[in-house]
Amino acid sequence: MKPAPFEYSRPESLNEALSLLAGDEVRPIAGGQSLVPLLALRLVTPKRLVDLSRLIELRGIKVESDGIRIGALTRWCEILSDARLGEHHPLLREAVRHTAHYQIRNRGTVGGSCCHADPAAEMPAIAVTCAAEFEVMSLRGRRIIAAREFFRSVFTTALEPDELLISIRLPTWRPERRYGFQELARRQGDFALAGCALYWDEAGGCCRDPHVGVFGVAETAIRVPQIEAALEDRKITDEIIRSVARTIRDVTAPPTDLHATSAYRSAVLAVLLERALRASLHDPSHHD
Amino acid sequence: MDDTTRTLAFIVNGRPVELSVDPARRLSEVLREDLGLTGTKIGCHAGDCGACTILVAGRQVCACLMAAGQAANQEVVTVEGLAEDGQLNALQRAFLRHGAAQCGICTPGMLMAATDLLRRNPSPTEAEAQAAIGGVLCRCTGYRQIVAAIRDATSAPVDQPADAQAVGSRIVRLDGPDKVAGKAKYGADLWPTDALSLRIVRSPYARARFVLGDLPAFRARYPAIVAILTAQDIPDNRFSIVPDLKDQPALAVEQVRFRGEAVLCLVGEHDALAAIPEADVPITWFPHQPLTEPEQALTATGDLIHEFAPENVLCRGRVVRGDAAAALRASAHVAQAEGRTQYIEHAYIEPEAGYAEVFSDANGERLRIFACTQTPYMDREEIARMLKLPDDRVHIVPSAMGGGFGGKLDIAIQPLIAVAAWKLKRPVRHTYSRSESMISTTKRHPARIRARIGCDAHGLLTAIDFAADFNTGAYASFGSTVANRVPVHASGPYAVPAVRALTRAVFTNNAVAGAFRGFGVPQSVVITETLIDELAEAAGIDRLEFRYRNALRAGQVTATGQRLTASAGLAECLQRLRPAWTQALADRRQFNGDPGRATSPLRRGVGIACMWYGIGVTVFANPSTMVGALRRNGRLFLYNGAQEIGQGTATIMPQIFADAVGLPLALVDQVMGDTDLTADAGKSSASRQTFISGNAAKFAGEALRRELLKLIGASQRARLALQGTVLLADEGARELRLDLAQLPADEHGDVARGEGYFNPPTVPLDANGQGVPYASYAFGAQIAELEVDRELGTVRLIRIHAAHDVGRAINPTLVEGQIYGGIAQGIGFALMEEYVSGRTDNLHDYLIPTSGDVPPISIHLIEDGDPLGPYGAKGVGEPSLIPTAPAILNAIYDAVGIRLTSIPATPARIRAALARSPV
Repeated sequence: MKPAPFEYSRPESLNEALSLLAGDEVRPIAGGQSLVPLLALRLVTPKRLVDLSRLIELRGIKVESDGIRIGALTRWCEILSDARLGEHHPLLREAVRHTAHYQIRNRGTVGGSCCHADPAAEMPAIAVTCAAEFEVMSLRGRRIIAAREFFRSVFTTALEPDELLISIRLPTWRPERRYGFQELARRQGDFALAGCALYWDEAGGCCRDPHVGVFGVAETAIRVPQIEAALEDRKITDEIIRSVARTIRDVTAPPTDLHATSAYRSAVLAVLLERALRASLHDPSHHD
Repeated sequence: MDDTTRTLAFIVNGRPVELSVDPARRLSEVLREDLGLTGTKIGCHAGDCGACTILVAGRQVCACLMAAGQAANQEVVTVEGLAEDGQLNALQRAFLRHGAAQCGICTPGMLMAATDLLRRNPSPTEAEAQAAIGGVLCRCTGYRQIVAAIRDATSAPVDQPADAQAVGSRIVRLDGPDKVAGKAKYGADLWPTDALSLRIVRSPYARARFVLGDLPAFRARYPAIVAILTAQDIPDNRFSIVPDLKDQPALAVEQVRFRGEAVLCLVGEHDALAAIPEADVPITWFPHQPLTEPEQALTATGDLIHEFAPENVLCRGRVVRGDAAAALRASAHVAQAEGRTQYIEHAYIEPEAGYAEVFSDANGERLRIFACTQTPYMDREEIARMLKLPDDRVHIVPSAMGGGFGGKLDIAIQPLIAVAAWKLKRPVRHTYSRSESMISTTKRHPARIRARIGCDAHGLLTAIDFAADFNTGAYASFGSTVANRVPVHASGPYAVPAVRALTRAVFTNNAVAGAFRGFGVPQSVVITETLIDELAEAAGIDRLEFRYRNALRAGQVTATGQRLTASAGLAECLQRLRPAWTQALADRRQFNGDPGRATSPLRRGVGIACMWYGIGVTVFANPSTMVGALRRNGRLFLYNGAQEIGQGTATIMPQIFADAVGLPLALVDQVMGDTDLTADAGKSSASRQTFISGNAAKFAGEALRRELLKLIGASQRARLALQGTVLLADEGARELRLDLAQLPADEHGDVARGEGYFNPPTVPLDANGQGVPYASYAFGAQIAELEVDRELGTVRLIRIHAAHDVGRAINPTLVEGQIYGGIAQGIGFALMEEYVSGRTDNLHDYLIPTSGDVPPISIHLIEDGDPLGPYGAKGVGEPSLIPTAPAILNAIYDAVGIRLTSIPATPARIRAALARSPV
């Protein structure tokens, strides 16, 4: 089936794009990797499609004093080939390695994935785990949305119809930071059945400021405050790893779908958390 | 600012292109439909299959996921742009040398993905090559030969072996160059420019009655509708692959029996039809409780899916020899199990596609169908009957075939494009969408299997008691074939004195189950081969050795009372696997016993399973006829009716024919499948083509040779040669010459013809299934080495070892290709695939193995020649798939001690079984 007919615009400037988005039933298109099939199946039927591909200001990764700023049109392949991220955000790079296959990574964008808001996708999980900030704009102005506010539910974000995601800021990656990333997919490149992203800062052999995010197990990626509290200021021992792996089963209630039952997701999530924590104990220089 | 229907300028294969298109259309469609670059294939339209992979700005992307407008000013490269100076490039040549293209439908996508990799990394590792093609699905090759080709994209030329003898040589497939160049024309790649399209309205219910509303008013409301077809437009609205039970309507009459059944067909321009809301189609539905499981259908007294099938049973199969019950009672060890297998989708990457057109020739007005098919002659019969036309008024021109595996034996798009074209006298094309293909075409039968097998204290098998119900879905298709083939094979490739094997094919309101590589045998071995393992364990005998002792050998009698006289190579397969088996067991012992891994979740296991398989159709005549000729232009010509479906008949048949004539393969031209030109060589099914059509090709070659010797006046021992149009016969003492250009020729230019015919000798089975169901059997054994993660329940395959007795490998590269590909399908069957109508009607929820899911495979070809086969050859297409799943299941048991009797062995099932197991 072909998409329903609609207007197609390819603005040259951000302002032009925002003006177009102020119209009725308008959808922006970035890499198109999620949107094109939805259009073709007529699951999405906008009156106008706004192709963002000429907005070069929305592209690229900047290393700034308060973290890394990823333009919404940045593609997965650009993240994977950016050597600076080995130092400035190894967790992001590790996560994106699990994202889809080459064809998708060559077109798909960070912003597109976040706005699509699949609860099993890696990028939203990293954004939530790292307490990212989403910079969005409309003709009405600019605002910053915290990651935990941005993702509302399955395929639903806090973006208003006239708003465009501009960039995502991941706070500064500290040198003493340890991290782990684990996911389980049925095949390489498939969406995860469950996954876990976490990091913490090492201070005197103890865990400081732990961030523990899980994905594929709720309506959005979520952080798990109970686990973070259990890890804060503690030395990460086998005992504590086993303990938080038990906790995660009590504090999450994953969905059942075609590919896995709730019980299986829950069991697997505990294993992935355990493995991510163990991985985080290794010297980060051996990680990448 | 607005770009709607504006000029799109971009560079395609180095050439600037400007065209006026809707920028929202998919780039894949613009390349194919507007620019005629049909080398870029469409398999799913959702980014799942990667067949449409092209390069944009030097990087691989899915053309189906890109709006054409987004290609503006970009550099696009398609498969048509790979050739250098008109010659195949190094990567394309490597694909040919390694046999990396089988059906060829994924080949353009594979080539483009690999091109992207090789530009960044000229000498990739195996893992890098696998990852690069991770987004391109292949259903034929198992990826191994593709990965090998990518890593060997050197300047080496493609040389056909210069051997005088073609049979036994690694001949590069003759249809290969067109496939790697993107020139092969598949079902969706050719269409008359004025062709109309179809929109087929399908049932949303598994079982319902329906009433059509005011169709004239509907038509009047939507001028885009040129015609509406209903059941009444089809002169004989019944079809089925089996001759005696035409039970399936092309358009349903008053009731539907499965979700996705076609009820109405709109004819018109594609996009305009697509815009009509489904809700506006005037159909009133009266849904009825469907019978979804065979158990339910068998006990639903009086609730019949078809009136002709009491108890909803389509067919019963039966093989009884000796007293199995008594023999089991007297056995030292008895193992029993009950298990289930799932619906499996063929998942060929080419959805059904083609066109029909009306034309006139000396025979008057005729109908031509160009479409993908495994069986051109049966298509002709079926379509002619449905349109109530004489057979010779229908002309079937098979397209290149983008995978079939049994799923393109039954007709699919053919009756509707045929009826529409015949009625409107206009060409009509149709291509199934991926979901339309998945919901409406046949599947592998789900099975429920119960078996008890016994052995004596020495580990010799005594008896098997086997019963299986096959869910045949809503219509007959190949249900009876499955029900009849399975009992013959139930005892496995072993000498078992007492056998009772009973089967039923049961109608349900599900997708039609039909032919799929192995006709029920892959399902039954999932249970029987695990029971063999249990008996070996009970008898304290090594699992390979146990199978070796029981292997059917020449001189022994099968469950149907057939004495095998030759070519029963299982014992030799097992002997060949012994070193790998011993090594694998030692590796596994060392890995699992390593004290450093005491707390590791990883456990390794090794499993083995065996198979046998009767070549050709069970009992019934399934002859092939082949015709070969020498033409006035000094070329041989093979009228090759053995449809190429990726398995290699376009190469094997000419190899056999050339050797039989005694002239070089390089002289052979051919036509494939065209029903106006070739003779009937039957279905490409039941692993029959090499054995049966191969014999016909051999006999055709021998007949032609006799004719040529007569023409030139030489004796039998003469060596033939051709120099231009001059035929030479060397008799040692003298050389005879004959200028073909001087001879009278027929309208094709043939100066001499030879015809060959072969029908395998069989003896009908009696009431107890005793007789000679097949003239020849293939044998094989496979070992799986794998690792189970006990915490996640996941399985990582480490290596598969496969030994197959193929009689004679006419072309070892093609035989290996069949084995790699069969194993890949076996892996999917064992570990991940499950078709659920309405839930897995696409290639992201229906999981087939990707390049990362197929481990290294070691192949051993056993050539225990069959005196009945052409140069000793048997078949290998289906056999290669059969032992893979049980070998994997046995290896999982070996690793972690759990027996899974329901497949697929998903991580969730494995983990649940581990949680239940006492260890």
